Amino acid sequence: MSDSIRDRLKATGEDAEPAAPVAHGEHPVGDPTTSTHHSYHGVLDAHSAKRAELAVSGLFLLAVVGVLGFIATFAFWPFEFGDRYYEWYTPLLGTTMALALLGLGAGAILWAKTLMVDEETVQERHLLSSAEEDKEGAVAILKEGAADAGLGKYPLLRRSFLLANGALGLLIVPFLFGMGRFQFKEDTMAKTGWRKGSRLLDELGRPVKLGDLEVGGVKSVFPDVHGGRRMADSAAIIIRMRPDVLKTRDSRRDWVVDGHVAYSVICTHLGCPVKLYEQQTHHLFCPCHQSTFDAADGAKVLFGPAARNLPQLAIAVDDEGYFVAQGDFNEPVGPSYWERKPHYKDEVK
Amino acid sequence: MNSMGTSARSRFSGYAVVVLALALLGGLYTAFAAPRTKAEDPANQSIAVKEGRQLYLQGCSTCHGLNNQGGAGGPSLIGVGASAVVFQVESGRMPLARGAAQAERKPAKYDRTQTDQLAAYVQSLGGGPEVPAGTLDDGELALGGDLFRTNCSSCHNFAGVGGALTRAKYAPALTEASARVIYTAMQTGPENMPRFSDNTLSPTEKRAITKYVLYTTQEAKNPGGAGLGRYGPVPEGLVVFLVGMGLLILTTLWIGARA
Repeated sequence: MSDSIRDRLKATGEDAEPAAPVAHGEHPVGDPTTSTHHSYHGVLDAHSAKRAELAVSGLFLLAVVGVLGFIATFAFWPFEFGDRYYEWYTPLLGTTMALALLGLGAGAILWAKTLMVDEETVQERHLLSSAEEDKEGAVAILKEGAADAGLGKYPLLRRSFLLANGALGLLIVPFLFGMGRFQFKEDTMAKTGWRKGSRLLDELGRPVKLGDLEVGGVKSVFPDVHGGRRMADSAAIIIRMRPDVLKTRDSRRDWVVDGHVAYSVICTHLGCPVKLYEQQTHHLFCPCHQSTFDAADGAKVLFGPAARNLPQLAIAVDDEGYFVAQGDFNEPVGPSYWERKPHYKDEVK
Repeated sequence: MNSMGTSARSRFSGYAVVVLALALLGGLYTAFAAPRTKAEDPANQSIAVKEGRQLYLQGCSTCHGLNNQGGAGGPSLIGVGASAVVFQVESGRMPLARGAAQAERKPAKYDRTQTDQLAAYVQSLGGGPEVPAGTLDDGELALGGDLFRTNCSSCHNFAGVGGALTRAKYAPALTEASARVIYTAMQTGPENMPRFSDNTLSPTEKRAITKYVLYTTQEAKNPGGAGLGRYGPVPEGLVVFLVGMGLLILTTLWIGARA
């Protein structure tokens, strides 16, 4: 123990002598007052101090490089599914952030070990160990339990027990397949319950037929597949308006039937049901954030935070006069997700 | 003489057959024809139409035109049907107070008889949806609830208190609507409301929805004591936050004061 600390402790009236050992045997961490203080560096000369300063500053600057790299990666690295080198996007974000944090941390440690004033102070603490008889008692109980359970007596049982515990560790393996590249299955997100030829069922399960709707009429519809009315992503709306107000792009000319048009009702902003239809303005309105879509013009966004038009469901009429879907929506329904392609063609899936 | 007697008999027997046949026909008609209500009686109907026309000329023709041709501010009423008149007049929306984004509910200007007369007149112009006879609020409540939640609640709110639409328009609250107004609104699709034809929602289903709306807006009690406007989780959350957090803070202070 350095004289300076002992002197200081005496000066403050504290008892610098160690407490008597409370347990049998050696003091668990030895006598802290007898250890010799090793200074990290002593007093550095001007040259060494300058070098240490450079090293610490270098680490801090490395942290700055990490931050800039993180921002640059975030802003410029291609991240969309299928882009060239997109798979490095997340690792690069991680690496640069690690660089920033580690640089700052390592710099701080080096700083403390070289340039900071190096003095020891004493903090009282209590012995953390249990009493020796308690330890022996615990060991005796465990041994007794093991003997009672027959672990020593039945080696096959012991081994199979250990094997089962080891096998439990394998449970984590399937979950690993949910991470990284294994999760990129765009189709599961892009598909709904609509199939080619599935009829449009209303909320009571009745198929909607041509002539059911008057001009200005609407109907919530669901696909005619097993469990279709419970498929949250498949909810759609069929609207009838005067054929002359319906603006149809050439590529979608076959998707409408005599002024009838069908759209997904899942808002492309955050997925609320867009079922507020105004029959005079032909607006479809989302009650959550006021996104407004023009049902007469391909459900184009007129207002609000939604970035994309509502997906359209191509419809036709079958031999018996019922509406049927020509296939799935032309693009994935609902809000964006990482693997979503930025553009989809006007084609029935 | 003989020939004279024969010709006279045949002449009288011809009259007798005609008279008998007419009597039989009249008797059969009276016996089998369905008894008619007062309103459906063509005589009363034509009186209602005449009265309705007088009311129309005084109160409506300025905008809708002397010959129903439409014009300054009002559409033609040919073919809109009696239901449209019942909805607009009974809910007080017509006559219009002023040109605005949308007509507002007001105290009705015409009483029930006058409304029916106006409706009969407009119906006589070119047909259109009519209010069905009989009670409209005897439908099946549970079915009505199902249908209301799918078809109506997106705009009118699940408790029927209405909500906002685009560009200063709104779906009105249903709390004051009568059975006829609810029913005819579905039939006619006033303003921006979609129209629910009898093929989209059958009369039975419309009655069920009418029943449900009347029940939920007028009879159903608020389970928590106060409805808070029945606007759902936002005001409820606010009250829970303010009252609940306030109580927690007070309790904390009390515990602290006792410690």
